[in-house]
Amino acid sequence: MVDAARQPLIEVKTFTEVEKVEGYVGNFVVTLREKSKYVRADRCNGCGACTKACPVEVPNDFELGLAPRKAAYIPMSQAVPLIYNIDMDACIHCYKCVEACGALEAIDFSMEDKLVEQEIGAIVVATGFSHFDPTPMTEYGYGRFPNVITAMEMERLNNSAGPTHGALIRPSDGKSPKHIAIINCVGSRDKRYNTSCSNFCCMYAIKNALLLKQMHPDAELSIYYIDIRTPSKGYEEFYDRARESGIRFIQGRPSEITEDPDTHQLFIASEDITLGKVIEREYDMVMLNQAAIPQPDQNHMSSVLNVAQSPGGWFMEYHPKLRPMDSPTDGIFFAGACQGPKDIPASVAQGSAAASRASRILHSDSWQIEPTVAVVWPDRCVSAKGQACGICARACPYGAIDYTKGLAAEVITAKCHGCGACVGECPHDSITQLHYTDAQVLAQIRTLLAIEPEKKILAFRCQWCSYGGADLAGTSHFEYSANERGLRVMCSARMDADLIYEAYRLGAGAILYSGCHPQDCHYITGQISGAKRAARLEKIFERMQMSPGRFRTEWISAAEGDKYARIINEMQATLDAIPEDVLKAEIERLRPEMSKRLTKMGEVPGVAQAMAQVDFIVDEMIGKEKGA
Amino acid sequence: MSETPKLVLFQCQWCLFSPADQEWVDSQLPANIHLIKVPCTGRINPLYLLNAVQGGADGIMISGCLPEQCHFKTGNIGARRQLEEFSDYLSHIGYEKERIRFLWLDLQDRGIIQKELAAFEAQLEAFGPAHNLATRAVESAGGANA
Amino acid sequence: MSGFTDPNTLSERVKAIPGGEMLMMCYSCGTCTSKCMIQTKLEGSYNPRRLIREAVFNMDDDAFADKTTWLCTACDLCYTACPQKIHISGVINAVKALAVESGKKTPYQVAKVDESTCVACGLCEKICPYEAISLVEKRVAFRGTITVASVDAGKCMACGLCTAACRSTSIRLAEDYNDAELIDSLLSWLETERVSS
Repeated sequence: MVDAARQPLIEVKTFTEVEKVEGYVGNFVVTLREKSKYVRADRCNGCGACTKACPVEVPNDFELGLAPRKAAYIPMSQAVPLIYNIDMDACIHCYKCVEACGALEAIDFSMEDKLVEQEIGAIVVATGFSHFDPTPMTEYGYGRFPNVITAMEMERLNNSAGPTHGALIRPSDGKSPKHIAIINCVGSRDKRYNTSCSNFCCMYAIKNALLLKQMHPDAELSIYYIDIRTPSKGYEEFYDRARESGIRFIQGRPSEITEDPDTHQLFIASEDITLGKVIEREYDMVMLNQAAIPQPDQNHMSSVLNVAQSPGGWFMEYHPKLRPMDSPTDGIFFAGACQGPKDIPASVAQGSAAASRASRILHSDSWQIEPTVAVVWPDRCVSAKGQACGICARACPYGAIDYTKGLAAEVITAKCHGCGACVGECPHDSITQLHYTDAQVLAQIRTLLAIEPEKKILAFRCQWCSYGGADLAGTSHFEYSANERGLRVMCSARMDADLIYEAYRLGAGAILYSGCHPQDCHYITGQISGAKRAARLEKIFERMQMSPGRFRTEWISAAEGDKYARIINEMQATLDAIPEDVLKAEIERLRPEMSKRLTKMGEVPGVAQAMAQVDFIVDEMIGKEKGA
Repeated sequence: MSETPKLVLFQCQWCLFSPADQEWVDSQLPANIHLIKVPCTGRINPLYLLNAVQGGADGIMISGCLPEQCHFKTGNIGARRQLEEFSDYLSHIGYEKERIRFLWLDLQDRGIIQKELAAFEAQLEAFGPAHNLATRAVESAGGANA
Repeated sequence: MSGFTDPNTLSERVKAIPGGEMLMMCYSCGTCTSKCMIQTKLEGSYNPRRLIREAVFNMDDDAFADKTTWLCTACDLCYTACPQKIHISGVINAVKALAVESGKKTPYQVAKVDESTCVACGLCEKICPYEAISLVEKRVAFRGTITVASVDAGKCMACGLCTAACRSTSIRLAEDYNDAELIDSLLSWLETERVSS
């Protein structure tokens, strides 16, 4: 941090919040709230006279409340820039600090927060993670038993610059603990709190235990664990060293900590899995290794930056394997634990990668974006004719559509990510998506259903999940019905109702409407629009008394090849169960219903010509096959 | 009156989670406390309380699990209803309510029962012995055992 | 890959019974075992984690003979503690149901009804936390065909609630001390206490 602050080309802005991010890759306009410190940065010399004079004491956040701080303070000794700060929530306005500051006149109570707009080319988000508060896990008694502390509190207690100057003491009586237990997976790998593994805590527990062992060779340390995970280079060797040094590893998650109310000694009951026995052991102090969780304001940041979140709340990367440092939004990158819990080497690697990705943008005059952007036909947009609409603007997960009543909707191309949600939602077919125009998709549907359509299962797949699932089913040789015909669109939100009606009009036997699992959506809320539409369609088809199972909605991830194959096979079985004449009669019965809903389709530019061409090609093809 | 109070302790066999506490209750209970271990507080027949009162017990302590921690799902809920109501009845006929103490223990409680028993004893000492209802003991003291 | 699993294996049969669905999610952390009061207070070899392993690996004989199968009273302390949210007592109950189905009987005592005095008032049926007691029509010696309470040995967990509730002292645990003995010992203690003090 100090090094970064010394770099002439790096401007460090601390105590500053991002209020708003507008614009697009290379041209962001970021509104920053520079919070007032009530101390003028140009005058403060960091002497600390104000802190000495300040009579107010409040808990020190940096020391996790283990030590006090004054209302005039620096957050920590390595703070950059080294400028004091007045905590207005705690200040009693005695102005002793002003007196102490004297001729420097650095303290200014009239300061106010400043809103600053800055033009930014690329954004790297490195907001880190937060710690799970183990108070709700009453079985471990954190908050109730003074000698049960968290890993971060232990970190401060064992730090030579910490509140005890590195003396390890029990909070209850100030004595030096001899028997210390560390409990892993507190709140992580736990469906009641955080399902995921917090990645670094195994190593962190071992590191803490070894540090304590080095400082206090007579201390007895036990680590309670479910599994010890040491997957990176040198980690297993570190684990070996810990065992060698006499640290006890106990496999078995403790169920309960009890405390002797007089001595504040702690008793941990756990099953020693390897012995198959429950053993109660006594300790002087217990450290809870809490889960890493997203920052408490992660949701807020996600909406400010307009980037999606993965299940669990972390920021979602563009691609988990191939582009882990890119956000789905061009020009915004992730570094470190804000994207998922990771240790220092991984954070550093990701940070460097993100910086180099960002510098590519800063050094470019032009930038290529996804070609599948949305385009409005202004003459078809009802808003231009004075009707209130704005459905497209509401459907857009990125706020890329400008809607003003009386004017045709307008797509900000650089912001558009090409999900097609607006295209799917527009009831007037006034928007299209390049490379996935209605004409193109309809042409594919016609071709796929040209021969014996009643035997076909038409599968609408989303590019990111169910298409990948189908692909995996193929590469893994999971057999599924050969009657399946796959059709790719970018997102389940693009699966326009018109496309489904047209497929049924052409006589499709069954249709699969598939996409990502909710939360996994590549386009933030695309799947949600898709799911709503699918539910609507299901109801419509039920009213039409279509045989159940002919329209099916499924959410399949790219890793679920087996599920894809199973679903297609189930759909084939459903189709097989309907006698052929009954199915054909049903298709004929519903054809006019479908046509009724498709009256506008022909008006869409390009559709009529595309249909004519496709019909011609298909006829030629069939003719050739028959001739052969 | 400096007589040590006679105390009957009904203990549900699950409520003391800590092995140390259970051991103390099982083997080191003072002579003036009589332990009756039951599978569940729900197993305590109100008849036992009545007999204890008639026999001249100065106090009765019933220790069981917290409502949501009952080993038999709802046993202690039934016991609470039944025994507290019965203690109301006993107070109505002259056995003070303070002489019956319920102790609902949490899994994490440790060393509580010793303190509670001591506190209860001190309270009973201040109260003095319960004579007025000890009909049975008087009878048996005179002749045949009940 | 067909994804076909033999539905006759113990693990699949347990999963098919409501409560046993989550069987395979266990990662063997041992929380349930150390939370369990039976294991600390009654039977050291009691181990729900091991029973789950036995069920996962289709070890029918071991699972049915395991004391865990028969002693669990479904107090569900472990359910709230389980980090995988497995309904452990549901799994154990499923194993028990399969054991009963295969003809096994509980090796532990259960409540017994004295049919010569039972008046079929139904108090025990209402108070039983395990729905183990029902009123049935039965031919009873000297009383003809009458309605009496009947205990399902597969469900009874020997808590004794019925004994305390019964107004005609017609139901009791097989090896339980009887009320008279207990009261006698109480009174004789009070007596000696009086003499000594």
